[in-house]
Amino acid sequence: MPESVIAALLLLAALSASVAGMGWLALSMPVHAQQAGMAPPSRAARRALRMAGAVALLVALACCLAVDHPTMASLVWVMGLTAAAVGVAMTLAWRPHWLRVLVPWAGPRTARG
Amino acid sequence: MMQSFRQAMAWLHTWFGLVLGFVLMAAFFFGALSVFDREIDRWAIPSTRFDPQPMPSYEKILRPAFERMQPLPATVDAMRPRVNGPMPERFDTVVSWSAYTTHRDPVLQLFAGYEVPNAKDPEEAIWAEATIDPRDGTPLPNDRLKVGSGFFYPMHYGLTLDWKNLGIWIVGFSALMMLVALVTGVVMHRRIFREFFTFRPGKGGLRSVLDLHNLTGVVALPFHFFFAFTGLLIFAATYYFPLGHTQLHDLHDLHAEVEARQTGLPHQRAGIPAGLANVDAMVAEAQRRWRANDKAGDVGFLVLQHVGDANGYVSVYRAGTDRIALVGDGIHFKASTGRLIREDPAPTATGRVAEFLTGLHLQHFRHWLLRGMYVLGGLLGAACIATGFLFFVEKRKRQHARQGQQGARVVDALAVTTVTGMVLAALGILVANRLLPEDLPARGDWERYAFWGTWLLALLHAAWRSAPVARGLANPAWREQCVAIAVLAPLAAVLNWITTGDHLLRTFGQGYWPVAGVDLALLVSGAVAALSARALKRRALAGPVASIAGAETGHA
Amino acid sequence: MSRTIPDFPAPRLHLAARIAAAVFGGYVFAWGVIAAGASLMFAAGMGFHDAEFLASLLGVLVFVAVFLWAFAARRLWVVWTVLAGGGALLAALGSFVQSLLV
Repeated sequence: MPESVIAALLLLAALSASVAGMGWLALSMPVHAQQAGMAPPSRAARRALRMAGAVALLVALACCLAVDHPTMASLVWVMGLTAAAVGVAMTLAWRPHWLRVLVPWAGPRTARG
Repeated sequence: MMQSFRQAMAWLHTWFGLVLGFVLMAAFFFGALSVFDREIDRWAIPSTRFDPQPMPSYEKILRPAFERMQPLPATVDAMRPRVNGPMPERFDTVVSWSAYTTHRDPVLQLFAGYEVPNAKDPEEAIWAEATIDPRDGTPLPNDRLKVGSGFFYPMHYGLTLDWKNLGIWIVGFSALMMLVALVTGVVMHRRIFREFFTFRPGKGGLRSVLDLHNLTGVVALPFHFFFAFTGLLIFAATYYFPLGHTQLHDLHDLHAEVEARQTGLPHQRAGIPAGLANVDAMVAEAQRRWRANDKAGDVGFLVLQHVGDANGYVSVYRAGTDRIALVGDGIHFKASTGRLIREDPAPTATGRVAEFLTGLHLQHFRHWLLRGMYVLGGLLGAACIATGFLFFVEKRKRQHARQGQQGARVVDALAVTTVTGMVLAALGILVANRLLPEDLPARGDWERYAFWGTWLLALLHAAWRSAPVARGLANPAWREQCVAIAVLAPLAAVLNWITTGDHLLRTFGQGYWPVAGVDLALLVSGAVAALSARALKRRALAGPVASIAGAETGHA
Repeated sequence: MSRTIPDFPAPRLHLAARIAAAVFGGYVFAWGVIAAGASLMFAAGMGFHDAEFLASLLGVLVFVAVFLWAFAARRLWVVWTVLAGGGALLAALGSFVQSLLV
């Protein structure tokens, strides 16, 4: 596979991981979990979601570093976090139930979501 | 006002944010456009719509171009007060000749600096600039305004207000106030982590506006902080804190002397004439040395210092296409013999920090995704400031209406001018760029008048239509200017098609992204404006009840 | 942490003076930090442009900090003394270090 295609795929992976990470961090907050139609998460669930979020963001960083010189990769990562956070915030504002795709183990959609 | 630290910070954020916000809107919006400044240049100057070119041969292309360059009459006139005596017909003693290119430049910019005889400051130099087609050396006529790199870009750092660098100082102060606004904003925003993802458009009025203001500010906080901060650092030594040229002038000169001795790169001319060896061979040797160090790369910057003198030297710098530095890895040759003088060592730790901080702002790297995200950051910054204005007005307009005050009305009119009005001004110059006759003398000046004229019209329109704000209602100018954008933006793209034959199907088909990108951005902007106008109309029809209900939702 | 402001005979003038202290006093103080910082770092062996850059970096951050302090501080005369006076002293230090080296 040509190098530019691999780079593009890795950057796509980085962005996806950032979105997933930001999504999990958002869903760890009861108000957003309820917006997405989930029952408010237990304390253990909240910790698990936050861990998943943090790990996903680190995976995104690793993907960025695999593509570019570290000076550029760090900027790509930080800006990717911004883009992902905006995406998650807008999803929560207009189509919150779309975030349920990140929590397939959660029960059926509650009336709130 | 200052009854507690938090209140003092809130006062500062509100009032300095408001006043300097108008300037910051320009910095962020035109900064966002500047990310793709060279692409906008391609759109504005159709004769440059060809592929980016590498640095051309000195012997074949650059030498004849440099030898033709002389300062413009206006530049010579501006130099007169700094000289004791007559100005020469021709300037022949070269301080430096240089050429700079990046992976995005089809055309090449050349700079020529000449010594000024009888100048009051012995280090005085007079400069000439030219743009050429690097494939054959044909010069670009110098009244073709590079709307992107020659107008939007200087607009973002200096408002094109060149008198005594006043614009640069105003933008600099506003950048400092941006940092103040960010810090005070964090101090004020108690629930900064809990509300990180919070945007409640349904709540209406003050709550929604504040949510969006907080969101756009916090989510891009590193971007906003670093761009304001690095912007200040880039101009610190030259404009804001020029210690090296004033108080610490002696230290600066001492260092220059020491450095000249250590590096073997003479600071002054020897006064002995000498020839110039083959520069192309020097460039080839530089590239060979980069390859040998596992750093194969393109030439980004070529400088010939003290041309025609025994102390002359040629410096070849590598373009920072693949990393954050602008250029680096300089290799220097003695001009008369072509012998290597010096290969620049790796930069010091501070040098690397400086390279990183300036490089992240000036963006000469090749990374289209990162560039795109920079535009997002710039637009988020503009949105943060705009929602700040909206919040200010929404919070006060009913109270001002009751008290018969005009404050909210004035701020609202200015907000319209700096938000939708600024977009209209940018569209105005692009439309004028396509409509004006190709061979109109001083065409660039007319394009600038179109920009300022459009902006002035937007201001007058906003002011004229703002009377309802003084009664506690919305200003219809917002919707009306959105409609104007929805018309002008696609019009600019259509004019591009009519006047150059380049339409989206053709530029997409050829893969000529600079022009395709600008046209696409114009169409998308028009669509966004149209949707906004529709949403604003619906809200206006929903009536005053809805907006009062929204406004009653106070903010914590 | 709350304290009340004393009644000023001319609140507008007081505000103008406070803004002036933040802007001009702050600038003088930042200049002083850069002068002292750059000259001391150069004296310690750093290249001039590196020293100037690092000092400017510090100077800008200090400017932001003292700007905020100028509005948060209770007594305006303290602000003027520290910023204008301190800035002048730091600048003088910079010139003194320069005189030792040149």
